[in-house]
Amino acid sequence: MSNLLQEIESQIAGLQTGLQRQNVGIVREIGDGVARIEGLTDAMMNEMLDFGNGVMGLALNLEETEVGAIILGDYTGIKEGQEVRTTGKLLQVPVGKGLLGRVVNTLGEPLDGKGPIRADTAYPVEKIAPGIIKRRSVNQPVQTGIMAIDAMIPIGRGQRELIIGDRSTGKTTLGLDTMINNARLNRAAEEAGDKDYRPLYSIYVAIGQKQSNIANVIRVLEEHGALPYTIVVVAAASDSATSQYLAPFAGCAMGEWFMDHGMDALIIYDDLSKHATAYRQVSLVLKRPSGREAYPGDVFYLHSRLLERSARLNEKYGNGSLTALPIIETQMGDVSAYIPTNVISITDGQIYLETDLFYQGVRPAISVGLSVSRVGSAAQIKAMKQVAGRIKGDLAQFRELAAFAQFGSDLDAKTQALIARGRRIVEIFKQPQYRPVPVELQVAILWAVQNNFLDDVPVEQVKTFQHRLSEFLTTRKAELLARIAREREIKPDLAEALKAALTEFKQLTA
Amino acid sequence: MRISKQARRIAKELFTLCRVDGRLDEGRVRAVVGRLVNTRPRGYAGILHHFKRLVELDFARRAARVESAFPLPAELRQGVQTSLTRRYGAGLHFTFLEKPELLGGLRVQVGSDVYDGTIAGRLAALAARFQT
Repeated sequence: MSNLLQEIESQIAGLQTGLQRQNVGIVREIGDGVARIEGLTDAMMNEMLDFGNGVMGLALNLEETEVGAIILGDYTGIKEGQEVRTTGKLLQVPVGKGLLGRVVNTLGEPLDGKGPIRADTAYPVEKIAPGIIKRRSVNQPVQTGIMAIDAMIPIGRGQRELIIGDRSTGKTTLGLDTMINNARLNRAAEEAGDKDYRPLYSIYVAIGQKQSNIANVIRVLEEHGALPYTIVVVAAASDSATSQYLAPFAGCAMGEWFMDHGMDALIIYDDLSKHATAYRQVSLVLKRPSGREAYPGDVFYLHSRLLERSARLNEKYGNGSLTALPIIETQMGDVSAYIPTNVISITDGQIYLETDLFYQGVRPAISVGLSVSRVGSAAQIKAMKQVAGRIKGDLAQFRELAAFAQFGSDLDAKTQALIARGRRIVEIFKQPQYRPVPVELQVAILWAVQNNFLDDVPVEQVKTFQHRLSEFLTTRKAELLARIAREREIKPDLAEALKAALTEFKQLTA
Repeated sequence: MRISKQARRIAKELFTLCRVDGRLDEGRVRAVVGRLVNTRPRGYAGILHHFKRLVELDFARRAARVESAFPLPAELRQGVQTSLTRRYGAGLHFTFLEKPELLGGLRVQVGSDVYDGTIAGRLAALAARFQT
C-alpha cells in the first residue's frame, strides 16, 4: 500500500505545475496515412506529433502555411478539425540487448506476445552516419557459412554487401543462412567460454513482405536456434506505407546500439525495392514532386543515408561494427533498373543470384561473374585466401570454356582438365539451405579440390564424396579441423596433416 | 478550386505589399481587393481566393483566445491583454470565452501557441500520465 502511495506521489511530483507553452495545429486534411495540419508554427523536421489517444505522427513536410505529417499506427480515428500538438521529440525506438529474441514493429513495440520489452535506452530513428575519423577499414570476416560466398565473395564486418536477384532465387535464404551460422558460432563460443570471440548479433528487417513469409522466417530462425541472437523488425505488406518506410531506419538504430557499445551486428534489409516503393507512396501522397519512375528526387539519399550508417569503428571509438546485407529484387534479371543501380553504387559489392542457375540446380544460384566484394578480401582468414585464391579465376575460365564442353573429345588435355576442375568446383559449391558449413571444413574441402584429390571422382559423385569427407573430418579428424580454426593459416606441417588425412580417407573409400 | 502557381505568387506579392511594419494594414487589404474586383485581371478569382487565405492565416496568427470557466473581471482581462501584447507585440485580436467545463483557471491561445492553466487541462495531463 505504501508503495502505491509513493508511486502516486512521485507521479504527482513529476507533473509540471507551472504553465507550459504548447504548440498546436488543426488537422485540415487526412487520408492514406498522411495528414495536412494548419498551425504548428514551431514544428521541427522529423518531430513526433501527438494526435491524442496515443496516435503519433511524424512531421515530414514543413510548408509555408501547413505541415505534412505521416501517421504512425491507426489513422482511421483522426478527424478533420482535430487538435495536434508538437512533442519536441524526434522519433525514437528502444534499443539494447533486451530486444534480442524478440519480434517488434517499426516503433519497437512487441508483436510476439512475449511481454513488454526491457530496454531503458532509446535511439533516434534518423541519425547521421559515423564520420571518417571514427571509421577504419574492414579486417574481420563475417562467416556466412556459404562456401561460395566465404571463398569467392568474402564479407567483412562493417561492409555493405548487396544481395540482388529475381523473385524466388534464394535471396532471403542467403541472409537466413548467415544468421544461423553466426548464431551457431556465438553459441559455440559461449559454451567454450571463449572471451576473444566477438559475437555477431543479427537484425532482420522485413519490409512489405507477406505475413506468411515472415512467420516462416521466424520459424526457421527458431528451429535452428538463431532467434535468441536476432531481432526481427516487421513492417508487413498489410502495415501502412509509413511504417514500411521507417522500418529499416528503426532496425538500423537498434544495430547502431551494438556498434556504439563495441559489439558487432549484422542487419538484413529484406527488401529495399519494396522500401523504395513505400517511400514513393508516402512522397506522392505528401504531394512531393516526382522524378524518374515516379520516385521522389531523394530516393538515392534515402538509401545512401541508411546504408552509410553501417560502418566499422576504430579502436578509439569502441571497435564495434554494423554489417549490412540489403536485398534488392530485380524484374526479369534487369540490374540496370533505377533502384538496383542506385543501391549497387552505394554498397561495397553485390551477390547476384540468377534464375537460370537456380533452375539448373546450382543452389545457391550465385553468378560468379557478376558478383563481387570490393573490400571483403581484406577480412578473409589467411587459410581461406590460400585455398580460394585461384578458385574464382578457375571458375571464370571454366565458364568461358563451358561452351566448348560439348565437343569434349576435340579439346586438348589442358582445356579438358580446366573444364573438369570447373565442373567439380560448381558441384562443391552447391549447398542445401539452412545448413551452413564451418569455415575450417570449407578450407579443408577446398584444399582437397586444389590439391587434386577430387580429380578422379566422377562429377556426379562429387557431392557424395564431399558429404563423406565432411563426415570423416568432423567425426574422426576433429582435431585437424580445430587446428585449422586455431592457426587460421595452412603452414607446411598443417598441409602435411591434411594430405595424410585425405589419403587415409581415399584409402577408406576406395 | 484549383489555384495556379502564378496566381499564388501574385497573391503572395500583394499580401506582402499590404504589410506595414510587419503588420497587416486593413486599408491596404481593402484597396487591393477593391482593385482586383474592379479590374478583373487574368486569374483574378484564384488570386482573390489565395489572398483571402493568406489574410485568414494572418488573422489566425494574431488571434488571441482567452478561455475561462467564469467571466473574467475587467481588470483581469486588461492584465491578460497587457502581458500578451508585451510578449507577442501589438495588433492582437482578443476574444474572451466562457467554458464552464474548464472548471477553473485560464486557457490562452495565441496563433498556434497554447498556455493551458485550467484545472480540466491538469486533470487530463494527470490521467494521461497514469495511462503511460
